[in-house]
Order: sequence, then structure tokens, then C-alpha cells
Amino acid sequence: MMDNPYVPYIGRLVDIQPLGTGIKLFRFQFDDAQLADQFDYRPGQFAFVSAFGVGEAPFGITSVRGVDDTIDFAVAKVGTVTRALHEMRPGDRVGLRGPMGNWFPLDEIKGKNVIFLGGGIGGAPLRPVITSILHDRDSYGDMTILWAARNPNLLVFTSEYDTWRQAPRTQLHLTVDEGDAGWSGNVGLITQLLQQVKPSPDNACVIICGPPIMIHFAILELQKMGFASEQIITTLEAKMKCGIGKCGRCNVGEKYVCLHGPVFTHSEIKDFLESFV
Amino acid sequence: MNFVTHTQLREWLGGLMAERSVIAPQRLQPDLVVYRAVDSTDEIAFDFGRAALSPKEFFLPATEAILTIERVRQLIAGDDGEAQPDWQIRLTDHELTRDQVLFAIRPCDAHALTALDALLLKEPVDAYYARRRQRTSLIGLACAQMGPTCFCTSLGFTPDDRQGMDVMLYTVEGGYALEVLTEKGQAVTAGLQSTPYSERLPEREWPPAQISVPPRSVWLNAFNDPYWGELADRCLSCKICAYVCPTCRCFDVRDYTVAQAPGYQKIERLRCWDACMADGYRRIAGGHNPRPEKAQRLRNRFYCKFEYYPADFGPLACVGCGRCIDNCPVNVDITEVLDAVRARS
Amino acid sequence: MIEQLRVKAREILENKTVDLVIGYEMGTRGAVRPAFIRSPADVDRLVWNEGCTHNLVTYLRTKRVPAKRGAPPLRIGVVLKACDARALNILLHENQLPRTELYLMGVVCQGMQEPTRPQANSTSGLSLSGRMQLRCQACSDRVPVVYDVLFGDSSQQPTQAVTGQRQSELEMELQRLESMSTAERYAFWEAEFERCLRCYACRQACPACYCAECTAEQLDPEWVGIGITTPEKRFFHIMRAFHLAGRCVGCDECARVCPVGVRLDLLNAWMRREVQRTFGYQAGLDATAPAPLTTFRPDENLKL
Repeated sequence: MMDNPYVPYIGRLVDIQPLGTGIKLFRFQFDDAQLADQFDYRPGQFAFVSAFGVGEAPFGITSVRGVDDTIDFAVAKVGTVTRALHEMRPGDRVGLRGPMGNWFPLDEIKGKNVIFLGGGIGGAPLRPVITSILHDRDSYGDMTILWAARNPNLLVFTSEYDTWRQAPRTQLHLTVDEGDAGWSGNVGLITQLLQQVKPSPDNACVIICGPPIMIHFAILELQKMGFASEQIITTLEAKMKCGIGKCGRCNVGEKYVCLHGPVFTHSEIKDFLESFV
Repeated sequence: MNFVTHTQLREWLGGLMAERSVIAPQRLQPDLVVYRAVDSTDEIAFDFGRAALSPKEFFLPATEAILTIERVRQLIAGDDGEAQPDWQIRLTDHELTRDQVLFAIRPCDAHALTALDALLLKEPVDAYYARRRQRTSLIGLACAQMGPTCFCTSLGFTPDDRQGMDVMLYTVEGGYALEVLTEKGQAVTAGLQSTPYSERLPEREWPPAQISVPPRSVWLNAFNDPYWGELADRCLSCKICAYVCPTCRCFDVRDYTVAQAPGYQKIERLRCWDACMADGYRRIAGGHNPRPEKAQRLRNRFYCKFEYYPADFGPLACVGCGRCIDNCPVNVDITEVLDAVRARS
Repeated sequence: MIEQLRVKAREILENKTVDLVIGYEMGTRGAVRPAFIRSPADVDRLVWNEGCTHNLVTYLRTKRVPAKRGAPPLRIGVVLKACDARALNILLHENQLPRTELYLMGVVCQGMQEPTRPQANSTSGLSLSGRMQLRCQACSDRVPVVYDVLFGDSSQQPTQAVTGQRQSELEMELQRLESMSTAERYAFWEAEFERCLRCYACRQACPACYCAECTAEQLDPEWVGIGITTPEKRFFHIMRAFHLAGRCVGCDECARVCPVGVRLDLLNAWMRREVQRTFGYQAGLDATAPAPLTTFRPDENLKL
């Protein structure tokens, strides 16, 4: 069965933590230590998590190999598979298929200033990039993190904000579409925050993840600010069933999100026949 | 080249049925011939044009259990010494139980399998398709003529093409002329009585190609043409074209509990045909759908066949069998579409 | 007659009575197909012949939606045969369409021919077989029950009518089914459902099937699995037959579009007969009369 890409590895849930309203962080470990060694993944890749009895769905891996000793996923409860996952308890077992897809070009962006735009649960695939940079801080330039959500309860990874703020040459800016009684920070869309912060395109790259419409408008804003297509990197989401380029579902034009992505630069995206929105 | 009489052919096929699944054309209704597993040669429709459905279902079944998952509860000692339930998972994947023989497959359908190979046998290999391909012998039957909606000659091959076959049959007076083409073909014809074929096969002149497939640059330019909206006006967004097509392969996957008892759950993971034509095909659980318009979905199907599939995997994903033309309830005619795209270059 | 229809289509497009006319045009290889005419210059594409089988009512709900969000819905002119007009009454009755924004071009129908099945070795492409469709053989009233303008001579007799005491083939098949034992009838339908591909062409072609999300495709809750297996297919077809009971007008497009010839015409004819026997009701004759399966009457006394 090792030669069958549809057969998952078995993982065990070791921890489940709330990340936001309707969002939980899942931490899995492999029962088989050899598998843990073999499951070599990089920031940007994803895996299929099986809630046996319901089905499988793809999720971006939010942990970093070598830093975290679990395989982590941020999961929003939106459908049947995610609902089944949300009802799990530590000790429950799932299937894990992966790692799949390509990864963020962490080597190629060394020496550059890195700007992050994370919208809602879109922050989850960006978190491992931030963590990797923090673990190799001197290899990268300034880090500017713009983190947004619809409301304060949907801001993810709040427990890491202090670590990010306190890191050298690192700024964190938060914004919400709608504040609440306890919120004293920025209120407004991430594009407005971007205009306020006004990061320079010089020797910089931007990594964006969020709802498709947010990515679309963020790219327009960045282009107005002078960022070139090669400097803009994003990761796309699509409904998937296999993750390995067979089932035909996840294509945006010629490109399959699972095979040619999920990480794409805007140089690639601007040539897409179809819109990813 | 050898010669077999009808009787010799039937005897041979009947003999194969002992240990293999023999799939052959079967006339289910006066005007409906489909490939089915048969138990006797009496069930075979030897005289047929093109089967209504392609034989892809014997390599990519309409419904296939790709995994059996068993959840078994065991008791282990917890930290406090108390017994804790621990649900173990046991996975079993699925193998074919018997070899298959596909009798009377037409050249278009064999070309379709070659096209599917470019995707499904590419790393990582689709284990289920690969096993079925490996364990199936293709006994081809050359077409005597082209059907009214056939256009294989426009796609670079002919109705008597042997490509992809293990054994090739040509209808001649009194029986069939027969060529063994591969090792698999040798193995499957071991029990076949035949005599040398002393005559020559008649020279076949096929009608010239009716359509030409536009090149890539034309497809790229035509993507935002209003033609797709006009074409989609009448499209019903059903799945007929994708399901009758020998190269369409999109599938859906979901788990189903098939047995349950205290401390035990047995689940089948099913993979089933699906089609990009359906309205909800790309809708994610959160509700977003990147192809909400019929025109976008219909366009995607043609682009997948003639632009995306060749760009990503090599061959065109169309073999000119004409089934989509025959079956579309509203006359979305793929040859008309090809002409229209070419005219817009 | 077609000239008069084209003249009227041109008129209602030019004077902006409608934004779109849905009718029939010649397609490829002898096929007839639905036509969507938006410009007066295109009305000559419209045709009328024995291949105009499609029930165009199925397009009305979605074609009303304007391309630009916020713009007003489209007003549509549509060509209707007698069966199509009954289907329209169902949608009017169910408040799915506003009568005032439709311009109904009724046509007196001579009956539709069965299309050929090209895989039966025919050489005729997609043209007609010369045999009249079963539903047309059984049809008693060729004049639409609702229209804004009528084309054709309502006094003219149909070309291949079944008149007098002779039963239509459809009736004979229903009787044959009724005379079967339960086990025989079950076996008959199992064989039909087994062939089904779950392509949903029947549902998509049907004007009365307009649910935004079909029960057969809903995942949450999941009523029917995704398997293309006989139990799931049986469930889909029986459920659909019940959803159509009292609403199906017998246009039989579901049976015509099916790529493997599932006898949905028989299944729905059976349900229509049950509704007739139980409630004395035929669907679609009227857009206002209460429909039996959606009306509760305290004084109802059914002999079931």
C-alpha cells in the first residue's frame, strides 16, 4: 500500500486549541516514528486530513518541521468534514495524506524585506513562514506583518503576536473590519491598513493569503504602490478531492492548485486564463 | 496475421470466462449497446457500431471503493490506571480479483485510454487505474466505417488504428483477421485456435478530416469571447457529455459507514464520477464558487480537453468518438465548437 | 406559420415588449435546438417543425436574471407547445414567474418526432426518426391552454393522431405494468434504474425541477450518497417522482434526454394517473386552481 497515493498515514490528535470563533488549531503526531521522519514538509505545503467516516479535505500545514514537534492545521468549521474534526478529542485518530503542493521560496527571498498580508484564517499558511524567518532572523531583511480579520475574534495566532512584535526589525499591524467593546486598534480593511503603513517596494517581497477577493484587491493596491509582479507571492485555495493532480477539480485555467501551486507569484497569476476569484 | 472463424472466436472467449472477467458489447435495448461483463458468448452483440457508453468504466468505475477503513476500539491503560478507549485504524486498499479481457474495443476508445494514461500513470501513479490497466487485455475491433458523428480522422488516427491494442481484429468474410501485438496479447490468445491468414486486408480509404483542432494560440485568444456565453444559453448543465466521454475523468470522493457495532465501525471510501459541468462542482464549504456561471463551466470543459490537458499532460483529451454529439439534449456539438473557435483566430 | 412567428418576434423585440425571445432553431446535422434571440435581426433563425421537442419553460427562471447586478429582470418571449404551456401554469401557480413579464407565443402542435439514436448504426446524423413520440400519440389537446398570441390553425387535425377507441402505446404500457405482480414490477424498475448514470439530464431538462440545491446532491444533511449505484439511483428517481406528483405535465423531456433510455415517461405517467384517480386532477390546466398535494382542505374525504 506504500505505492498508493490515496492511502493516508494514520495520525493521532494530541492537542486541539481554539484559534478564533469557529476556528481551532489541531496538532497531530504520527504513531509511527519512522513516518514522522519521512513526512518532510515545508512552509506553504498542505495535506489532506481524513475524518474517517465523513471524508477528507485539504488544509495548509501551519507548523514548521524542526521547530514544532507536531503537524498542525488551522481549521474553520464550515462543512461536514470540518464539523467532524471540530468534534474530535485528543487521542482520536485521523488520516493524513501529504505533504502536497509546492512551497514558499524561502531561499530566494533571503536578504529581502518581507511583508505579510494575512486575512482571517488566511493567516494560517503564513504563520510557518514567519516562524521560519524568526528562526533564521539574520538571513532576512525587515519583516512587516499586516494581519486582518472581520472582527477581533477572528484574528488568528494571537498567542504569537508578542513574539512577533518583540523580534528584531519586525513590525506587526492589526486591523479588523468591525471592532468590539474591547478593541482599541485599527478598524478598516487590510487595503486601507496597507495604504497607512506604506511599505516600500525596494528590495521587498509580499506574501499574501486570505479570501480570494482580498487577495485580488491587495494585489491591485500593491501594484499602485510600485510592487512588481515577481515581488508578489500568494497561496491559493480551491475545492480538492485528490491533491495529486488526478481528479481534475482544482484547476485555475491550465494550472492545478495542487500540482502547480498552491504557492504562485503574481507573474504566474497574471497569465492565468481564468480568474482565481 | 491469422484468421479465426466466428466459432473459433466464440470458443476462445468462452474459455477465457473461466478465469477472467470478459467484457464485451451487450445489446441492452434495440438501440442501446454498452460494454458489460458477460457470462456467455450468447450475451455478446458481435454486430454493433459504436457502444453508447465508453469502456472507461472498467478502468475508472462510476463508483469504486478505494479504501476500507475499520475503526476498532481497544482498551489501553490510562495514566490513572483506568482502562481508556483507544480507537485503532485499520486500512485496506482494493485490488481487482480477476484479470479482465475487453473484447471489441474500438480504436477511439483505445486512444482514450492512452490519453488517460498520460495523467493517471504519471507520478504519483493512480494505483487503482494502474492495476486495472495492467490486468486488462485489449482485444481491438477495427471499424468497418465511420459513424455519422465520428471524427477520429480529424484527430490524427483512423478507425482501424491498432495503437494501444494487445490484439487487433478486422472483420473479414467468414470471421476475423487477427494480429497479436503485445506480450499480453500473446498470453491471452494462448488458447485461441486460428489459421494463417492468406489473403490481404482490403485497403481502407477513410474520408478526409472534417475539422481541424485550433492551435494553442487561438484557444488563448478566444478565452474571453462572448461565444461561450451564447453557447451556454442552451446548455442544461447536466453531466451527459462528461459521463459518455471516454477521456473525461473527474471524480468525487466521500466516506460511507457500511457496518457498525459496539466498538467497531467499517467505512468505505468511495470515489465516483463527477463532472465540471455541475453548478456546485467548485463550491467550497464556506460557500464561495469561482465558476458560478454556466458559460464558465462549459468553457472549462472545452479548454480542459483541447488546451489544459495537452499543456499539462501531453495528449488532447478528445478522441473524436462523437458520443457527446449524439447524446447532448440541446445540440452542443463539439465539432461546431472547434470550428467556431478556429473562426475566431 | 413560421413567418408569422418571426414577424411577431421581431416586433416584440423592436418595440421592447421583451428583451429576449426563446424559441427553436436548426442546429448541426439536422438537429433542432433551443434558440435565444436578443436582436430583431436574428429572428430568421427561428424555426417550427416536428423536431421542436424541448420544453423551453425550463429556461425561463434563470434567463430572467440580468447580466448586470441591480438591473431589472429580463422580460422574455417564449414559444410554447400545449405541454409546455401546462408546465408554465405550474410555475405560475408556484409563484416562480411573473405572468406580466412573459410574452407567450403559443403554437398549435402537430406532434413531435422521436430523434434518432445514432449509435443504432443510422446514417442520418441527429435528424428525426419519422416516428411520433409516445407522449404526442397520447396527446388529446394540441392547443396551449395559455398564450398571448397563438400561431397555427387550432382546427387542424394532428398528422399522426391516435383517435377513437384505440389506446395509445403509452396507455398500453401502463396497463402492462399494472398487470405485473409486485415482484415483476420491482424487477422492471430495478433494471431501469441500474442503467441510469446519475447524469441528472432528466432533472435539468425538467421545468418543474428548479430547486437551487437538489436533495440528491445535498451533503449536509446527506439524504443520498454520491454512489452511482442502484440503491442510490432508485432513491433519486422515486423521490423525484414524488416531488413531481401533481406537478408533472407529461412533456416527457426527461425520458427523451436520458442517454440510456430510462422509462421516466412511464414512471411519471403512472404517478399522473394515480393523482387523477385520487384527486380527479390534471396538472397545469390552470394557474390558479388549488393543487391537491399542496392544499389542505378540512372537508377532504379521499378514497385512497
